[in-house]
Amino acid sequence: MNAVVDSFGQHFFRLALVEAVMVGAVAGAVGVHVLLRRLPFFVVAISHATFPGVVFGSLLGVSLFAGGAVVGVAVALLIVALGALRQVEDSSAIGIVLAGCFAVGVLVLSAQPGASRDLSAFLVGSIVTVNAADLVTTALVGVVLLGVLAAFHKELVLGAFDPGGLTALGYPGRALDTVVLIVVTVALVVCVPAVGTLLAVALLTVPALAARQWTDRVGPMTALAAGLGAGSGVLGLCLSAAFDIAAGGAIALTATALFAVSAGFSRVVASR
Amino acid sequence: MRAFLFDPYQLGFMGRALVEVLLLGTLGAVVGVHVALRRLAFVTDAVQHTVFPGIAIAYAVGWPLLPGAAAAAALTVALLVALTSGRRRVDVDSALALIIASFFAVGVVVVSRRTGYAADLSALLFGRILDVSRAEVIETAVIGGLCLLVLALLHKELVLLALDRTQAAASGLPVRLLDAVLYAVTAATVVVAVRAIGTVLVVAFVVTPAATGRLLARSIPGAMAAAAGVAALLGWIGLSASYEASLHHDVRLAAGATVVVAYTVGFAVAGAGRLLFKRS
Repeated sequence: MNAVVDSFGQHFFRLALVEAVMVGAVAGAVGVHVLLRRLPFFVVAISHATFPGVVFGSLLGVSLFAGGAVVGVAVALLIVALGALRQVEDSSAIGIVLAGCFAVGVLVLSAQPGASRDLSAFLVGSIVTVNAADLVTTALVGVVLLGVLAAFHKELVLGAFDPGGLTALGYPGRALDTVVLIVVTVALVVCVPAVGTLLAVALLTVPALAARQWTDRVGPMTALAAGLGAGSGVLGLCLSAAFDIAAGGAIALTATALFAVSAGFSRVVASR
Repeated sequence: MRAFLFDPYQLGFMGRALVEVLLLGTLGAVVGVHVALRRLAFVTDAVQHTVFPGIAIAYAVGWPLLPGAAAAAALTVALLVALTSGRRRVDVDSALALIIASFFAVGVVVVSRRTGYAADLSALLFGRILDVSRAEVIETAVIGGLCLLVLALLHKELVLLALDRTQAAASGLPVRLLDAVLYAVTAATVVVAVRAIGTVLVVAFVVTPAATGRLLARSIPGAMAAAAGVAALLGWIGLSASYEASLHHDVRLAAGATVVVAYTVGFAVAGAGRLLFKRS
């Protein structure tokens, strides 16, 4: 316990804490839409497919965030286009793009001597090395994403439950679908510095899934998911300091534990 | 051409890597057609991530990796069935995401407790196809052969189940048991492939050649044969290309990743051909 108390005195730990809260809250709120539209496999795919973007960003010396975002959005559009081929069903299209893009990232890295240490940081994150500029980026992007979700809330929820009805009412259904995919992709890229490409999936699905156990209404579910995401970030970071384990893994495990508690609780309530 | 395709394999480790790639390519192609018919790509992806903690724990305590991976895969399938059955609010995709996230997190935590963290992690994530031993190749052949035998014996039943589940149940097939058999074969394929290819790229061996095969052939056995042929040919070319680039052109290309890129390019070519063919 002393290790945790000591950590709070350190500058880098306080920065990491702020980052964890923001990332958890944004990912939790966006995660509700991931669940409503059954996009978890898409999230897994994008999390792997942004990898070459992150690698290129690091090699070219531009921001990792920018590299990942550009490639991520391109890949999202590619998956949509491949899904239009009749012989290739959606889940195969996602699998092919996922593995193909990841392999390209590995190839580019393997051609660069001595790159394997950076690689692990992308894969599992290194939240304790975030700086003030990263925090500002996360905050700005998070506000924009939450703003988009709030502005189109009614249309997005209708589209998730009744795509036919949305189109019949004259809304541009496909454009709104693409907006959701881009929001999800950008949210994922925001999580990468904190928890890494692979565990970002956890933040984008598990807090929302936990919130789903408590309520059926989308508004409260979004608020609760954001709170649970932020809580996972804080608790996970403290656990990581206390037991000297990887922060990304600890945050994902905390989120899973919150889900288990929520699922248990909803079962007890339902059985009454 | 001869130097490109044959010379590298006179070295013992390259020869073993080639045999392993050909075995895994064939196995993945046949299993993959079933996976595509049943839309199980996400299950494959989930198993490949969840075997990671099994491998990580086995590695940390110094046990052989295969039993660790197999135990984790079995636990995944069991959890998946448990989470998605009954009147709970968890659909299959969400259950898989939850299992992936938690298992992978356990793996990362276990590995992060060890020193030499980054190097170990890379080996587990990306495999080490150039280090496969003779015993491991034999293991792959035996397990792969068993999987193919099971699929061949149950071929008619599995295809009927994939295409018309109600009809299959009505004609008295044990639907749940067949599901479990297919999950188990998929999981076994991922487990034997993980050691060579690493936990992230395995899904390519199951999904990509099978999708290419389905673009090339109409019937199910035809798609399997085409997929196996494509996987073997592209695996061979990919391995040769990685060797050639690393040795003669001073660009080190990771062997497993090069094979996966070759598979992906093959799929892209077949898909483009299909589109052009349809237009004309």
